[in-house]
Amino acid sequence: MTTKKMVFVDTSLCTGCKACSVACKAWNDLPAEKNQLITSYQAQASTTHNTWTYISMHEKYENGKMEWLMFKHQCYHCEDPSCLKACPNEAIYKTESGYTLIDQEKCIGCGYCVANCPWGVPKTNPELKKTYKCTGCIDRVENGLQPACVATCQPGALHFGDRAEMEALAKTRLAEVKKDHPKAQLYGDKAMGGTTYLYLLLEDPAFYGLPENPTTSSSLVVWKDWVQPYGIWLIPLALAASATSFVTTRIINNTNKSKGGN
Amino acid sequence: MNNEERVVRFSGSARFAHWGHTVTFLVLLFTGLTLFTPALGRVLTPLFGGHVTASLIHKIMAVGFTIIPLIALAINFKGFIAWWKDVFSFGANDIKFLLKFPLEFFGFKVEIPPQSKFNGGEKMNSVVTTTSCVLLALSGYVMWFKAAFPVVLVQWCYPIHGICMILATCMVCMHGYLGSLHPGSGESFWGMWKGTVRSDWAAHHHAKWYDEVTKS
Repeated sequence: MTTKKMVFVDTSLCTGCKACSVACKAWNDLPAEKNQLITSYQAQASTTHNTWTYISMHEKYENGKMEWLMFKHQCYHCEDPSCLKACPNEAIYKTESGYTLIDQEKCIGCGYCVANCPWGVPKTNPELKKTYKCTGCIDRVENGLQPACVATCQPGALHFGDRAEMEALAKTRLAEVKKDHPKAQLYGDKAMGGTTYLYLLLEDPAFYGLPENPTTSSSLVVWKDWVQPYGIWLIPLALAASATSFVTTRIINNTNKSKGGN
Repeated sequence: MNNEERVVRFSGSARFAHWGHTVTFLVLLFTGLTLFTPALGRVLTPLFGGHVTASLIHKIMAVGFTIIPLIALAINFKGFIAWWKDVFSFGANDIKFLLKFPLEFFGFKVEIPPQSKFNGGEKMNSVVTTTSCVLLALSGYVMWFKAAFPVVLVQWCYPIHGICMILATCMVCMHGYLGSLHPGSGESFWGMWKGTVRSDWAAHHHAKWYDEVTKS
């Protein structure tokens, strides 16, 4: 049995060099995109169908001093993903190693996953009508290599390994970092059944613009757990009632005729 | 009363809107169901030559579905107002109709009090289908142009579109059957097809309305 893998993102060590983003593009053969500054150092606003991972840079001011906090965005590869639930064509699936993947043969680019990911990670290529996101470098990790972003990370902010090993490392690092950053916390372990990308944050998730408690939206529960499996049966019921009426009206008519006809 | 005598029941614009919506709704239903569940998708998608074509047909029909009632509205706004005035003049006779109709539906003979142009059931059908159609169109455009709307709104449009589809389809099934193959439907099909119905049928099924029409 394949063991569950995990990437530990230690944001306390990230320098924001963006080499992970470049390595991702190189390995996955993704073209560069033209973009422009949004805030002081930030040029990438979100993941796109051609940019599967990027760093967001956040300025923290305390006692007149500024500190850069970094966050690496990519697919979190949730244990219980909303995108998988939302997909109408069974194009999204889980691997035993813990990754959430889009089968590009089956993907029809409808964008249901795009709208339902709590972090808004997957993005549809409007020309190809296919949706793309980080694959976790599944081709590398299932063949004994590290993901491209991890392999290239110079300050040692990214770690790849078996889940238990990474969780232990994350806890050790959290204890160390907490001394200087009292708000430091792990992020992802409790979200969406547990994510394959586990983060050590130096601040509250909200500071990074992240949802505090990412969950499957109630609209998706209504849609997929109520309307789709049960609601749809109202239609066959309406048809069955009409068919029953077609028969009973004629039986009753005939009985009345034979009674009154004499 | 002459059996050949006929009264006008539906104007040209009402019939255009009705049949235009019949065609566009059915095409929208089957192209849309390709995405409802994977199982339905496997059966229905090949009929349209794949998801890309199904999606294109769905969008073209959606535009027709939106424009048709607007055209009818522009041509005959008075008729539209008259329809809704009658629908909302929901009284005791309509309630009696709704209580007794389930029996008549399955063939039992019941005494139904005089009905206006639209009987209690037709009034309910008007409200449910029109509400569903408006919500289907609005939620559809939000999903079509999702980049222009907040994510939460887009997310809720998926179940809303599904619920309205189910409600509207149920009404269409019942309405289609009652307007054609139900023994009691009689002239109602010709009312929507030719625009006129036999006077004796009108007097029997829609006595209140018949009195108004013949008096004026």
